[in-house]
Amino acid sequence: MSHDFEVGGEREPEHPPPGHPILAMADRVMVWVNKAVMIPCMLALVAAAVVLSYSVVARYFLKIPTDWQDETAIFLLVGATFFSGAFVQSYRGHIGIDAVAHWMGPKANRIRMIFVDGVSFLFCAFFAWKSWTLFHEALHEGQTTTSTWGPPLWIPYSLMAVGMTLLALQLLLEFAGRVAPGPRKAA
Amino acid sequence: MSALAIGIAYGIATLVVMFSGMPIAFALGSVALAFMYFFMPASALDTVTQNVYEEMASITLLSIPLFILKGAAIGKSAAGKDLYQAMHAWMNKIPGGLGIANVFACALFAAMAGSSPATCSAIGSAGIPEMRQRGYSPGFAAGIIAAGGTLGILLPPSITMILFAVAAEQSLGRLFLAGIGPGLMLVALFAVYSMYRFRKEYRMAHAAFKDGATKSAMLDDHVYTLREKVEMLPRVGPFVVLLIGVMVALYGGFATPSETAGLGAVLALALVAVVYAMWKPRDVRPILVSTVKESTMLMFIIGMSLLYSYVMSSLSISQNTAAAVVGMHLPKWILLAAILFMVIVLGFFLPPVSIILMTAPIILPPLKAAGFDLIWFGVVMTIVMEMGLIHPPVGLNIFVIKNVAPDIPLKDIVWGVMPFVGLMFVAVFLLCFFPGIATWFPDLVMGAPK
Repeated sequence: MSHDFEVGGEREPEHPPPGHPILAMADRVMVWVNKAVMIPCMLALVAAAVVLSYSVVARYFLKIPTDWQDETAIFLLVGATFFSGAFVQSYRGHIGIDAVAHWMGPKANRIRMIFVDGVSFLFCAFFAWKSWTLFHEALHEGQTTTSTWGPPLWIPYSLMAVGMTLLALQLLLEFAGRVAPGPRKAA
Repeated sequence: MSALAIGIAYGIATLVVMFSGMPIAFALGSVALAFMYFFMPASALDTVTQNVYEEMASITLLSIPLFILKGAAIGKSAAGKDLYQAMHAWMNKIPGGLGIANVFACALFAAMAGSSPATCSAIGSAGIPEMRQRGYSPGFAAGIIAAGGTLGILLPPSITMILFAVAAEQSLGRLFLAGIGPGLMLVALFAVYSMYRFRKEYRMAHAAFKDGATKSAMLDDHVYTLREKVEMLPRVGPFVVLLIGVMVALYGGFATPSETAGLGAVLALALVAVVYAMWKPRDVRPILVSTVKESTMLMFIIGMSLLYSYVMSSLSISQNTAAAVVGMHLPKWILLAAILFMVIVLGFFLPPVSIILMTAPIILPPLKAAGFDLIWFGVVMTIVMEMGLIHPPVGLNIFVIKNVAPDIPLKDIVWGVMPFVGLMFVAVFLLCFFPGIATWFPDLVMGAPK
């Protein structure tokens, strides 16, 4: 099993080979987008922790009913999770079982990685598409959660849709980097 | 296609896609989606994202990133080193005290940080060089830290246990408490073994010295003054207070498990800011980046594992398999042994989160039918999965140790952890004969289950 536990500090993102200028430019844009998106993700994590801590203080010490805190934290954490999916993928931080890589030759490994990135892209692209349709329905039908607070569901669905779209784009970029002519990156 | 054939095809497709090296989350999602397309009504595909969202939007599951944040804050600070040094100073007089101090430091740090690899890294980076400097064999030093680190998924707040509680629909509070007794038992077993092994290595070093060999550092005594010992406490104290405070908040009825996670994260960030002056953006950023990386990777696996289980259940694969296992009328303990063996084998390849969510729908009904207490089983399964973190071929902690101490050969680390794997087996046997080790404490605090 591969893993992303950091022992020696942060690694640089894995870039596709700069063989094709369009790919190289798309890669630079994606690196920038991923870095920019990380800021709201980090803030959302801290905000969720603060909201849940406030919930304890409000209920126990201030005797104020707590009806919005859990759902706010859920929206923040769902957003942080999906938004950072592409960033984590750029470091190949989504773990997989890479045992077979050691038994295969470079050519077979290259085909294997094209399959891996291609299927991963198709899955995430489908998921992103269905997230957008879900968001569209929730927005037009005015869907809300079933709680007494009842916030609109388009909020988390939109976060999921944007996050999965970014992830699909990241995977498409990595897939294109493998099939495009030019120097290859190792599997 | 018969239900049996679909079930077999589902299993084979999963194995093929996973072993292709595809990230576990996408592999599980792709297989689930493909089987939805071929074997479920077309409308099922339209609601796939809604299913994933509804399964994930549970505040209990989403407490996981916050527990990781709390662990990262403590893990990225020097708390591990301070904790280890204080333990060392206070246990110095016990034979093998250094090894025991490492076990205790691992247990305490694991309980604060909730992560096995983070514990291995934090305590190991200070503890392994110190033990080797004092003459401990490299394998023994590595074994203590690798095994001590596994306590992170047994002692509360354990992410593995959060998932088990969700998958088995059991009380999280009760499960957390049930991990404490067996956790302490493992600490005791590891400590006793460390003492025994120290004495053995000490005798060998002593005999070699008498035969004219160079004097091993193991034979030197180092004494700490009371002042030195007391001076080490102020840095460790606040973290122990945090550990106890979080547990009091949870079990005193002040906070729900997710609120406890939020409160723990805020307090941990505040403590590292005050104690280690880690408040500037350049200090806090690595904590948040590492939290996002680990929690996103885990939450994706969890979300897609839930989708995978949903498809398995919709196609009646889990129900049929569970019914077939129940129908075999296996003796109770054979059934348990077979299930635990399967968990060990899966532990060769999969992280605990996937093992729990993928197997729970199949293994829990037969265990329930055989009369096993699922809280007790959750603890036993966790210990077995702990073994997966340190046994070859892919024990995660072994590789963390290899990073912390690159000059120790992998072979030495593997042989060093083996006695600890044996002790974990002993712990599982003891739990089978005396289930009260796990259940007495939750029963004491929360009353007997209804």
